[in-house]
Amino acid sequence: MAIIEAKNVHKSFGKTKVLNNVTLSIEEGEFYGLFGPNGAGKTTLLRIMTGQLEPDSGDVITSGVSISDPIEVKSRIGIVPEAETPPTFLTAYETLELTCRLRHLDNYHEKIEYWIDFFDIQDKRDVLCRDLSKGQRQKVMLAAAFIHEPRVLFLDEPFINLDPIFQRRVREYLLSMLGEDRTIFMSTHILEIAGRLCTRIGVLHKGELIEQGTLDQLRTAENENLEDVFLRVIEGGMTLNV
Amino acid sequence: MVKEEWRLHQSMVGAIGSGLFPAMIFFFTAFLAYVSKFLLWNVKIQTILLFLHMASVFYGLFVGGFGEIGEHVMTRRLGQLNMLLQLPQLYPISFKEMMAIFFVKDTVYYVLYSFVPMVAGLMVVAPQVGVTYQGVATLGVTMFLTFLMGMGVSFLNSALSSWKKPFSWMFRVFIVGAILMYKPLGVLSLDYLIPPLGYWTTRNLHFLSATYMLSIILTTLALMVTKEKYETREESYADALGDTSEQFGFMGELSTIVAKEWLELSRSGTLKPIVFGFIGHLVALYLGVWIFESGLGLPINFNVVFYSGFIGFMGITTYSWLTNLEHNEYLNVQPVNVVQVIKAKLSLYFILTTGLSALYVVIIALIRNEVAFIAPALVVSLSTTTYIAAVTTYLTGIWTNTMFFDARVLLKFSVMVVPPLTLLEILSFYNGHPFVPAAFYEVIVSFFLVACSVFLFRRLDKWRNTPFSFVYNK
Repeated sequence: MAIIEAKNVHKSFGKTKVLNNVTLSIEEGEFYGLFGPNGAGKTTLLRIMTGQLEPDSGDVITSGVSISDPIEVKSRIGIVPEAETPPTFLTAYETLELTCRLRHLDNYHEKIEYWIDFFDIQDKRDVLCRDLSKGQRQKVMLAAAFIHEPRVLFLDEPFINLDPIFQRRVREYLLSMLGEDRTIFMSTHILEIAGRLCTRIGVLHKGELIEQGTLDQLRTAENENLEDVFLRVIEGGMTLNV
Repeated sequence: MVKEEWRLHQSMVGAIGSGLFPAMIFFFTAFLAYVSKFLLWNVKIQTILLFLHMASVFYGLFVGGFGEIGEHVMTRRLGQLNMLLQLPQLYPISFKEMMAIFFVKDTVYYVLYSFVPMVAGLMVVAPQVGVTYQGVATLGVTMFLTFLMGMGVSFLNSALSSWKKPFSWMFRVFIVGAILMYKPLGVLSLDYLIPPLGYWTTRNLHFLSATYMLSIILTTLALMVTKEKYETREESYADALGDTSEQFGFMGELSTIVAKEWLELSRSGTLKPIVFGFIGHLVALYLGVWIFESGLGLPINFNVVFYSGFIGFMGITTYSWLTNLEHNEYLNVQPVNVVQVIKAKLSLYFILTTGLSALYVVIIALIRNEVAFIAPALVVSLSTTTYIAAVTTYLTGIWTNTMFFDARVLLKFSVMVVPPLTLLEILSFYNGHPFVPAAFYEVIVSFFLVACSVFLFRRLDKWRNTPFSFVYNK
């Protein structure tokens, strides 16, 4: 059953066409990786699919709800945005508390403690987010996206600013989500990690989804890895059968 | 940098809105100058010059808070917005140099954006109002120098505030002291407080060169104390969101967002300037009228209802402060919409202004021995405060400071606000008149404004699907 379905999505910023007729369907339990060169439209597509941005035309159904009702969409999913921008004048703890309260979670203090321990930011829990390092702020953003245990998770460069220890910890958590039949949509440039996580990938180039399938389906040679596939598709501009 | 400023304005309010702003200033100035010969025929030219130069000082004060801008940029308070001011973090250029360039850029930008169209507007109607082209050009120069002086004062104050707060307070005391030396002590002439006015009194060019030198000295001092590094101290707070939400429990569903706004307001150090700014404007209004009455010998019989009509207008600054605390990009990924945040800000706006407004009305009524007018004055102050908030939120959402740079928005605001406020101010002159039931009409107009406010509040839903970061990401 498709849990994310985008149909004929178009988006332009002024005269610049960013997304051109993107159609995409993601099944429940999939780990979908979206790749593409800088400026391909990945973040714009993610923002549209999560109700943060309205498309010029087309529709997206996310978690059974049309993005024309963005509040309902956002209440059902977790989002890690491209930029780590937690509230300037709230502490790390309060940011997670704000998230829990806005999402009407009960007994949330235990959950907050769990994620503060998970990301090892106990000593920064009472520090204003303004004064945290980029990596610490990214941890707060990740914890805020995970804390309500959403069935669908959207991640835009989730590993950026994380050290290898926490890249691994987050990777393992994401894989455990898949075991619970939850769905993950991720946009990243770190192909090495993505190759190990994603069950299906899509390549967005100049606003068009030019390729999608499993890594095995996209390979033309047995020893090709995700990076080889990505470079071949983008540089060659060739189309493979899905 | 000028290009950056222009593109920033364009990204905020669009090319048309941004481009129309100078055109609006041009036509507005030409219109006002033209009608002034009918409306101000019995007002002394000295009074008009005083008004124009005081406006220039305030414009400069408003524009010149560069120390604060620098701190916001360098301490990442502008969300995803990146500016050329951040170059010292990456390139071998000092922050002082960047701030000096920024100062020159803003001077050039605001001259082109507002002074040139204003002078051009005056030039067009100069022959009709009996003023020479040379006179208009000279007025442009003296107002520009006054603007520069205001910028310098504001720049030095904000730079001192970022450097060492006590020095900033000393500087403010010095400025207030200078004003008090003019009035009521009477030991300093207005010509020395605002030197370009001295030129108009004496035609002595030294007043203009002194103003120019003064603005250079103020700016140089500001640059000297500008910090090279804005190292943020690591500020910590015990969890207060839950308790604060409970305190605002009467707000129901909004209590969490109101609590967040309140914590941002108090922790950012903005609460004091908001409260004192609101009171300061109201006190300045009363003192301004008092100075005109006692200093210039002009009989101005404004009663308490007149002052209460202005309270709502002063409230704009309070609401705009509230929209300037936080970029709120985080809320883009939470199940919250802009309308909820507008309502939370409105709640704080009313909490902050209602009591102070009522107190102001009562005090002015007691000072002026106008207790009989307290009831209509309170009704007028409450209705105008509500109406201004409704118009401002309807037209600008949570981006008040930037949206007012859109000439279309400013025009709509003027059309919606100026006529009813003018009507109330005119009615106030009839309070106590034996044949005109002014208080009755004031209450009728006030009810009409409240009804309009309800109508506008119900239409705030137009902001529902707008991203929190829309001003920078349109």
